[in-house]
Amino acid sequence: MLVIKWKRSDCLSFQSEHSILISPVEDFNPDLLESISREVQRLFGYRTEIMSLLQDVGFALDPGRDQHHSTLILEKLAGLAPARVIKVLAVTRVDLFIPILTHVYGEAQIGGRACILSTHRLNEGLATSAREIFNQRVVKETIHELGHTFNLRHCQEHACIMHYCRSIKDVDRKADQLCRYCRILLADELKRLAAT
Amino acid sequence: MEAHMSNIKILIVDDEQIMRESLAGWLERDGNLVATAASGEEALKKLSKSRFDILLVDIKMEGMSGLDVLRKVKESDPDVAIVMITAYGSIATAIEAMKNGAVDYLLKPFDPNALGVLIDKITEHQAQAREILYHREQYKDRARFESMIGQSKSMQKIFDLIQDIAPTGSTVLISGETGTGKGLAAKAIHTNSPRCNGPFVAINCGAIPKHLMESELFGHQKGAFTDAKETRKGRLELAHGGTLFLDEIGEISMRMQIDLLQVLEDRIFYRVGGTQPIEAYFRVIAATNQNLEGSVKAGSFREDLYYRLNVISFRMPPLRERKEDIPLLTEHFVRRFSQETNKPIDKISREALDEMMLYEWPGNVRELENAIERAVVVGKGRIIQPQDLPIFRPEHVTSPQSNTLKEVEKAHIVQILNENQWNIAKSSKFLDIDRSTLYSKIKRYQIKKPA
Repeated sequence: MLVIKWKRSDCLSFQSEHSILISPVEDFNPDLLESISREVQRLFGYRTEIMSLLQDVGFALDPGRDQHHSTLILEKLAGLAPARVIKVLAVTRVDLFIPILTHVYGEAQIGGRACILSTHRLNEGLATSAREIFNQRVVKETIHELGHTFNLRHCQEHACIMHYCRSIKDVDRKADQLCRYCRILLADELKRLAAT
Repeated sequence: MEAHMSNIKILIVDDEQIMRESLAGWLERDGNLVATAASGEEALKKLSKSRFDILLVDIKMEGMSGLDVLRKVKESDPDVAIVMITAYGSIATAIEAMKNGAVDYLLKPFDPNALGVLIDKITEHQAQAREILYHREQYKDRARFESMIGQSKSMQKIFDLIQDIAPTGSTVLISGETGTGKGLAAKAIHTNSPRCNGPFVAINCGAIPKHLMESELFGHQKGAFTDAKETRKGRLELAHGGTLFLDEIGEISMRMQIDLLQVLEDRIFYRVGGTQPIEAYFRVIAATNQNLEGSVKAGSFREDLYYRLNVISFRMPPLRERKEDIPLLTEHFVRRFSQETNKPIDKISREALDEMMLYEWPGNVRELENAIERAVVVGKGRIIQPQDLPIFRPEHVTSPQSNTLKEVEKAHIVQILNENQWNIAKSSKFLDIDRSTLYSKIKRYQIKKPA
């Protein structure tokens, strides 16, 4: 399935012709992708596109661990993204890892082009009916990963979206906003990008 | 997670590139400064050039093993925390490493949370140690206060400048090497200003442990965090109506830079956990021994804050540029220390003074002060002799080819390090510079520890 959509937010004027691409690896509920797209526009001020760049991530599978190596996927995504796309945000259902760790929820190229989030472990403690909470988790954590590509690091403010959550409960507790520090640091980075 | 998001320096030592890189990438997300080494040998080379808070060392490596690295590092820098990384088969070795001073070990692949918890534990422990040191230094600082002394042209210019700028209330940025008296200049500006009856509150931004900084500066509301049992006023509030002196401003975190900029722009701030705005009615004087413009270019210091601070700026001259002041300063210090120690030393020999005039004083007035203090303590007669001075080395006199400032400074540092068995804490105390300054000098001069 290939979905291409263009979205424009009402409240933000977009500073550039660049866009942020949301790239689902598998089929995801369109509502969820819409929510991510809306939040990306609201917080980062870029237009968004939803288009699947990469649907087969088998090349990154480690059969011994039965997990996918996220760094390899990021490299591939960054290479595939068209020139107009400033950042690629991939969402996948497969479980991700980096070699030294047992698993990761997601990975991002800090200050780079690509990031990925796995929804594999975000279902924890949820009944299948609790789709709203699940969606909120996915949206928050995709924004978090995308924040890294804009050079943001983890934040000590518990309510900030850039806070690194040790438990899924902490994810539910944190807000869908950047704290005032991260907002300023993001504005710096956006200004820098606009100038280059 | 609290403590561990403020530029912890971590060195990863692993001969597998993929392990090094994936771990480095992961730790960088927390804002840590991460370096990697592909072998024990490379790690030791990196450690001789810069300081790290935490080492993550793979036990099994080609060449030098993780245990060898552990032993070597523990000999030279016992403060650094070392965590061993081990595969399932070599737990016994990991336990041996713990006996040899490793903090802990991680079994690979490890759970991201286990890594996070461990790093938190280490940084909290290190922060506590720094806090104790900080309070001790605070106590010492209070005991010492001097006035500015100098008849040289460069100092006369500084005195004139201070007279001119003191009444204005503008923000001032003072640059200059360690020990040149930036704090004294700030105090002089304060005492010559209309705010002289208000408080002069000095903060050494490089010395305050990062996790204490926010509450130290802004104060906190009761209940703002676990230890906040009482509402407490911060230094900014205490400076009301007076002058706030921010020493080593180049050392403050990005967060704190954002906060300070807001204070300077809006003239209000909030206590940690507080919602009531507090008016900031004070003058700000900042000082640095770094090249702040360079830090701005490198992205570690905010340009907007730099311009806010750099309204009026001047540089304190190093002592080697005003050697004509050495006799006057010496006389002053001799008088003071002979009084303090109750020893009847009242003169300095011609030869000793000649030595002092030849010396380049990399640690500036503070180094001179320490040299005289030592001379007064160890001196046997009424007159200070060259051999009473810590700077007196016969080889100085016989090796005129190494007379550039850099070479003299390097030689001095090497000597002090050797005399103190490369104990960084002791050596930096002796040189009267911060540990971080000493580390950066060791790096800059590529000074190597003798094998």
